[in-house]
Parts: sequence; structure tokens; C-alpha cells
Amino acid sequence: MNLEDEIRTALRRKEPSPEFTERVLARVSGMPVRRAPRPWVRWVAAMAASVLLAAGAMGYRQYQGERAKSQVLLAIRIAGGKLNKAQKRVQMLNAAHRNNS
Amino acid sequence: MKTAGFPLALVLFAGMAAGQQVKWNYDKLAARASDSVDVNLDGSVLRLAAKFLSSDDPDQAKAKKLVEGLKGIYVKTFEFKNAGEYSPADVESFRAQLHSPDWQRIVGVHGKEDGEDVDVYIKPEAKGIGGLAIIAAEPKELTLVNIVGPIDLDSLSELGGHFGIPEVEVEKKKEK
Amino acid sequence: MTLLQMPERAPSRTGEWDFASLVRQHQAMVFSVAWHFLRDRALAEELAQEVFLALHLHLATLESPEHILFWLRKVTTHRALDVARSRQRRPIVSLEDAPEPVAVTPPGDPMLGAALRKLVAALPAKARMVVVLRYQEDLDPTEIAAILGIPIGTVKSQLQRALTLLRGKLSRSRGEVGL
Repeated sequence: MNLEDEIRTALRRKEPSPEFTERVLARVSGMPVRRAPRPWVRWVAAMAASVLLAAGAMGYRQYQGERAKSQVLLAIRIAGGKLNKAQKRVQMLNAAHRNNS
Repeated sequence: MKTAGFPLALVLFAGMAAGQQVKWNYDKLAARASDSVDVNLDGSVLRLAAKFLSSDDPDQAKAKKLVEGLKGIYVKTFEFKNAGEYSPADVESFRAQLHSPDWQRIVGVHGKEDGEDVDVYIKPEAKGIGGLAIIAAEPKELTLVNIVGPIDLDSLSELGGHFGIPEVEVEKKKEK
Repeated sequence: MTLLQMPERAPSRTGEWDFASLVRQHQAMVFSVAWHFLRDRALAEELAQEVFLALHLHLATLESPEHILFWLRKVTTHRALDVARSRQRRPIVSLEDAPEPVAVTPPGDPMLGAALRKLVAALPAKARMVVVLRYQEDLDPTEIAAILGIPIGTVKSQLQRALTLLRGKLSRSRGEVGL
């Protein structure tokens, strides 16, 4: 059993209740909702939103830049590895040719 | 169909016109691969990456120098569970696109021990090398690399000892 | 490995994004992060609703579909962590009683899946979120570090420790020598 695969299976995404989208859209449009959120959830949400708004744009650029960097390094590793192999074989062939001539 | 020993061509490389990447359709291979690596970095992403590559780190400094001025780096690797899950014909159409006056094969080597064939193509231009394509075919893995833009081959050849790439050391045979 | 592409600059007005489509597209992700982390379905739905309300407010600042996804993951993650912190003094809901959301039965051993979810839920908060982001969202350590605002090294070590812990506990609970 591969534990990581099992965890992936166990943590598969699940859908919320069927009325979820409708409830969100209703709240967005200002219509009354059946269940009011708990007060402390709203407070936590407001605090988190204000902090994230300030840091959001910068955070995303950082994220993009770091991802781009890791992808460049991966690409160079792969390309360099293949070139390196080719280079090594050519040198071996040249060395063998010199030794035989 | 066995593929060991065949120079399997996986082509991922720049397009016919200078600075253009050829769009390949990998769907068939992707469907059979057990795993794949897909890196698509155009000029804007490379410029962004260059800002985040540190000049203080030797590997990153080399990478920074390498990507300067490049228009794109595209890498595709397919891994297969078993040998024979792809055939020379699968990639022949890709290889055929390199049979043009724009491209020149500079290296073609076949490894008997590991069964890996590596072909390296360049796209010569008036001011230097405008593109590089690498096709590396092993029994269970195919890799295509395409680099678009003015390329410094010397910098590329000096990657050994960096990025986890071994230094090229060739033992000389003892003289009789 | 996902593609990394610089997105075209998206329309800047909220109205040009189809908000309802965005909700439908991302609701499973947002809800599931909250659910797998908090193990309280009602709370997870509430939190998910709040995330989408916040999305509606901030949509004009988001540049692309990829940016929206990043933003949603980040906001959901941070809110879930905040909720967990504020719940620390409250008794933990018995996981045996926690009802599973309605979903298509996942493949594999359902007993093992339930056991793993329970074990994941018992991990410390940060480690638990790292595991959820890694295995539910298939994010790599770089992405997880960016979302959580912690070093990549910390993500990797937390992931390693969590796996070791999960492996050990699962083995003991199933009477197996090892996995």
C-alpha cells in the first residue's frame, strides 16, 4: 500500500451541500439568509480579509516569481543532464578513436 | 513493440521561424505515460524568474546568466511503466519537423549500456545560435527540450558540477 | 507538474467575471480544505461561504484564473487556521460521530480512508494544513510555503514528520508491521 496515494484518496475533494451556491449568491445579492453565520466567524473573516488584502498582491507576485525560479532550475537540470550525457559520450568516442589510431 | 536501441525521437523544439516554439500534440503519448514533467517558460516568465534567481548562489547565478535574453524554455518528459509503451513511429512525426534547412543536428549518440539515445540540434542564425533542441530517448522515458533564443553553448556545456549534474569525466584507456 | 504560464491581464471589473461560475468551479476545493481541516461540516460550509463573499469583494483586484485559485486557497487556509485557533478551548467533536459530506464514494478502502482522515484531523494544525494542501490539492512544497507564508524547509520537514506519524499510527491501529 502506498501511504501517500491512500492519503490522496482519503482527502479527495467533496462537494458542499446542493444549496451551497444558491446560498452564496443570495448573500451576495443581499437577500436574507436562513442561517446567520456565527458572530466570531464573521470577525475572524474580517480580520483575515484586511490582512490578506494588504499582502495579497505582493504575495502573489512572490509566489509567481518563486515558481518561475523553481521551474527554470528544473528545466536547466533536465536539459543540462541530457547535454552532459551527450557530451560525455562524444568525449568517450573521441578518446577511443585516439587510442585506436 | 520493443524500443530499446531505436533512436527514439521526442521533439520539442522551436518553430520554423526564428523565436517561435513549435506546438506539438502530445496527447497520445501523455495518455500512455505513467508520469510526466511539463515545463513551459516563455520570455516573460523567464524574465520574472531571473529577478528571483540569486547571484550569490553559484547554481542560481549560472542559471541567471543562461536565461538572459532567452525567449523560451520548454521541456517535456514522459515516463512509462514498461519499455515498449511507445514506438519510433510515435515520435517520427516530431523528428520530421527537424528535417529542415533551419535545423542542424550536431550530436547523435547511442548508449549501449542504458539504451539512451540523445540527439542535439541547433538552429544557426546570423548572430549565433537561435534555438536548441534535444531529443533523449530511453526505453521507459522520453525527453524533449527546446530552448528558444540566443544561446551560449559554452555556458550550457559548463553545467556539469552544478544543478546536480555530474562533471564530465572521461577515463583515458591505458596505453599498451 | 502543472504548467506555469504568465496569465493575460484579466478584466478588472468584477462584473466581467462570472461569479456564479467561479463559485461552482471552486466550491468543492474551498469546502474540502475547510472540511478536511476542521472536520465540522456546518462550520466548513459557513467558512466556505465567507470565503466566497470575500472573493466577491476582492474580485476586481485579482488578475487571472490562476490568481483567483491562489487567492482562494490562501484565504481559505488562513481562515481555517484562525478558526482552529479560536476553537482551541472548545472540546473536539468526536470524529466517529462526524458525518461525512455527501459525495461520490471514493475508490479504495473506505475503512482505511476514514481512518486516515481521522488521523490527519488529529495532527497539529499547521502540519494538518500542510498535509491537506499537499494531498487534497496536490500542491508542491513551494506552493504550500507561499500559501502559508512559511519557509519551504519547514513545509518539507512538517510533511515528512506527518507522514512518519501517520504511517506509525496506521500500522499500530491495523496491527501491521509496516506499510
